[in-house]
Amino acid sequence: MGTASYACHTPAHRLTRRTFLGASAAGAATAFAAPGAAADLAKGQKRVLVIFLAGGVSQLESWDPKPGTDTGGPFRAIPTSVPGTHISELLPYTAKQAHRLAIVRGLNSAVPDHAVGEQIMLTGRRPEAGLEYPHVGAVAAKLLGADAQPLPGHIHILPAGGGGGFTKQDAAFLGPQFASVALSDGKPPADLLRPPTLSEAADRQREDLRRKLDERFNRSRRSAATEAYAESFAQAERVYRRADAFAVEKEPAAVADRYGRHDFGRHLLLARRLLEAGVSYVKVSHSNYDTHHENFDFHIEQLGEFDRPFAALLDDLADRGMLATTLVVVMSEMGRTPKINHLYGRDHWSAAWSVALAGCGIKGGAVVGRTNATGTAVTDREVTAGHLFHTYLRAVGLDPAKNFYPNGRPVPVADPKAAAIDEVLA
Amino acid sequence: MPCLSGSVFAAVVVSVVASAPAPLAARIDRLVTAGHPGYLSLASPPASDAEFLRRVTLDLTGSVATADEVRAFLADADPAKRARLIDRLLAGPGFARRMAQVYDVWFMERRKDEKVPRAAWEQHLRAATAANTPFDTLVRNLLSADGVDPATRPGAKFYLDRDGEPHLVTRDIGRLFLGRDWQCAQCHDHPTVEDYTQADYHGLFAFLNRTVLFPAPTVPTAVLGEKADGEVTFVSVFDRAKRTHTARPRLPAGETVAEPRPVKGQEYTVAPAKDVRPVPTFSRRARLAGRVVAHPAFARTAVNRLWATLMGHGLVHPLDLDHAGNPPSHPELLDLLADEFAAHRFDVKWLVRQIVRSETYQRSSEVSATVPTDRLLAAEVRPLLPEQLAYAVLQATGRVDAERAKLGKAATPAAVDAALAPQVQRFRAKFAAAPGQLEGGFTPSLDQSLFLKFGPTVRGLLDPKAGGLTRRLAWVRDDRAVADELFLSLLGRPPTADERADVVAMLAGATDRPAAVAEAAWAVLASAEFRFNH
Repeated sequence: MGTASYACHTPAHRLTRRTFLGASAAGAATAFAAPGAAADLAKGQKRVLVIFLAGGVSQLESWDPKPGTDTGGPFRAIPTSVPGTHISELLPYTAKQAHRLAIVRGLNSAVPDHAVGEQIMLTGRRPEAGLEYPHVGAVAAKLLGADAQPLPGHIHILPAGGGGGFTKQDAAFLGPQFASVALSDGKPPADLLRPPTLSEAADRQREDLRRKLDERFNRSRRSAATEAYAESFAQAERVYRRADAFAVEKEPAAVADRYGRHDFGRHLLLARRLLEAGVSYVKVSHSNYDTHHENFDFHIEQLGEFDRPFAALLDDLADRGMLATTLVVVMSEMGRTPKINHLYGRDHWSAAWSVALAGCGIKGGAVVGRTNATGTAVTDREVTAGHLFHTYLRAVGLDPAKNFYPNGRPVPVADPKAAAIDEVLA
Repeated sequence: MPCLSGSVFAAVVVSVVASAPAPLAARIDRLVTAGHPGYLSLASPPASDAEFLRRVTLDLTGSVATADEVRAFLADADPAKRARLIDRLLAGPGFARRMAQVYDVWFMERRKDEKVPRAAWEQHLRAATAANTPFDTLVRNLLSADGVDPATRPGAKFYLDRDGEPHLVTRDIGRLFLGRDWQCAQCHDHPTVEDYTQADYHGLFAFLNRTVLFPAPTVPTAVLGEKADGEVTFVSVFDRAKRTHTARPRLPAGETVAEPRPVKGQEYTVAPAKDVRPVPTFSRRARLAGRVVAHPAFARTAVNRLWATLMGHGLVHPLDLDHAGNPPSHPELLDLLADEFAAHRFDVKWLVRQIVRSETYQRSSEVSATVPTDRLLAAEVRPLLPEQLAYAVLQATGRVDAERAKLGKAATPAAVDAALAPQVQRFRAKFAAAPGQLEGGFTPSLDQSLFLKFGPTVRGLLDPKAGGLTRRLAWVRDDRAVADELFLSLLGRPPTADERADVVAMLAGATDRPAAVAEAAWAVLASAEFRFNH
């Protein structure tokens, strides 16, 4: 296993100067943060957690219930900790957290499709030919990450069988160091740990030789790239030393019980550990809400699994003083049709649905936007995924109007056609 | 002692010139020397033989020399040995493979192989390089192919694996062949680059907007079809009056294509219908390829990219931002290269030979003081392309030799490469840029370091039980000889006394000698000197 020692006595930890040089080299190589991005970095360690209800959660069975109407389905709306605000009875624990939540009920995300919808929700932009935009996780990793952060800044926790490993695409022009690392069923990537055929002593010995060779080479050929290369081994070493952040089984049994003894509970608990360890962005996917048939049974099951651990997480983050620095977003790639089909299902829908926010920079208890009586259209304060993207950035203290400069060309961090939803910002 | 080094260098170059006149190489050096005050006193000395051998082998074959080749080259007393080496490498099969890799990245930028398989595409590019097909012909063929004829279908990859998406193709023809990233100009004139106008963008777009993928962009066997109608209009998002402009097919600063007046009922040679590929009587797209390769920016962009491939940095940099506000570091040199390239009928081999023969190319990458980075005072330290890295690892660890031995008499270069392809693919998957992103720059990521550090591919290649370099060296008793072989095989040079001592110290007293040799080999393989061309 190679989990012998995580004490910070490794030579890698002495390379602070290189760390700085490496980070700047990496930044200079592909995408350039706008001048002043360094000021954002100095604002302290902020983080983002996205809970992604994959398949498309029904807004009517969650944040925007319409009981007693043609479209409302069988469930009641229940009062919450915020007087006057009601949510679905499928979320009793979450209802007690409403004072921490801001609910956006007027979302029109434009495209009722799994892949395109996810892209829109995570990039805050409609797809454009010839230009890929970075996902919010890559943006957070780049703009919120500390220079010598031990762990990757952009992590996805996927259900078992959801595929694991490193993805390049979702960082687009920000470069691969901000691309996501996916943990299938919460398991770290295969090469993360030292293989059993390589003893710790042998590894240290060979690293010593590598470092000596590099020092000699760099003496007369100093370049940002060679420094960044040396730093990349130091980072691998740091991740390895912090591999316990992935060891969710080390949580006390009582804590694990509060999150629920099922995959999603465990994944959410792992997310908390990773955020605590300094990861800038964690996305936890909970599957599957794509309920074309038996929508109501499936939502009892799925939201029943979501509700308690989500409430436990908010309590935990608040207790640890992390909620003030952690933005929590509950989203999907789309919502579900108000119309109930003949299989008691709801289909793909993007015209009027909801997203919930909590934590860093968010005004708890706010409810913004309104749909009509049957939920078929937004009647007040319609917003797009672009507005939400601006809101995430503002919530964690970043300026959405700044530019990235991939290859020298200015690209606004957030879509200039949208703006933040001020009503949900603290 | 820069002055002394300069004179030593002069002696080397004189001998090269004497054995085979290299007028362009000399003119390159003259313009580079004139490009910075006090150039000769600041410039790095000539690269050592070992440094030159490794660099030129990586650049012209995409791999590294064997330990035997290194020893032979270092021992060779012929003053013309560098020119001889260049000729040998350019004539060998490695050059076609290397240029196929370079072109693949230029033209496709790591897009998925959905409609033209990788093997057919690589074969197409290799055959073109092996035949020394002029570069303008190569590109004209790419931009002319419609994917219908199996013989030319591989070249249609440029369109097909961009799904024929006209905006994407417009953008990439602008970037890759005309040196201008005019993405912004799709919606408005470029806000900071005066030369990139919305009218020019839509002029190129008008060659392409009628092109469709038949039967559908999602079908792997799709081919290109074209409609006979569809005018291009555009409105600037900056224009409050929202005036609509019409664009006809035209390249920047070029003439608008003369179009015959369409005759009603005769617009098509094959009219569109269900399950029928439309073929118009007058194809706008067919007018594009010849105009692109004849455009003044074409030769300029091509030589700038070739220069960057060999030197690590474009004369215009970034490569796709050639405009008045971003002038070349050496304007006269760029003009000279572009003119000569066109005058020599776009002969890539000729141009490469001239560049690598220059003093400029053959400078050491070692710098003694802080010097400006864009004045070509020293060779640039640049990361190996993923394929170069793969071949360098496979060559140095002995896997290439093993595959060759396994194939026996059937070991043609193509067969050996085919046997290595799965291993190369593992490196490509880890080290290649994301699809559609400009390759270059250096952004090591965690998964790459873990791949090198703990991953099974590299561990497997270094495993003494698997044969190859470490197995051979595990049985060598003299620790100093082991150190020498490791450095010659992996870094193309003998170790210094200090380095030899370091390796000897690591091997001394090792309880598991084969494992210790493997881990020492890993340290050399993971060093920056191996990872970079310098």
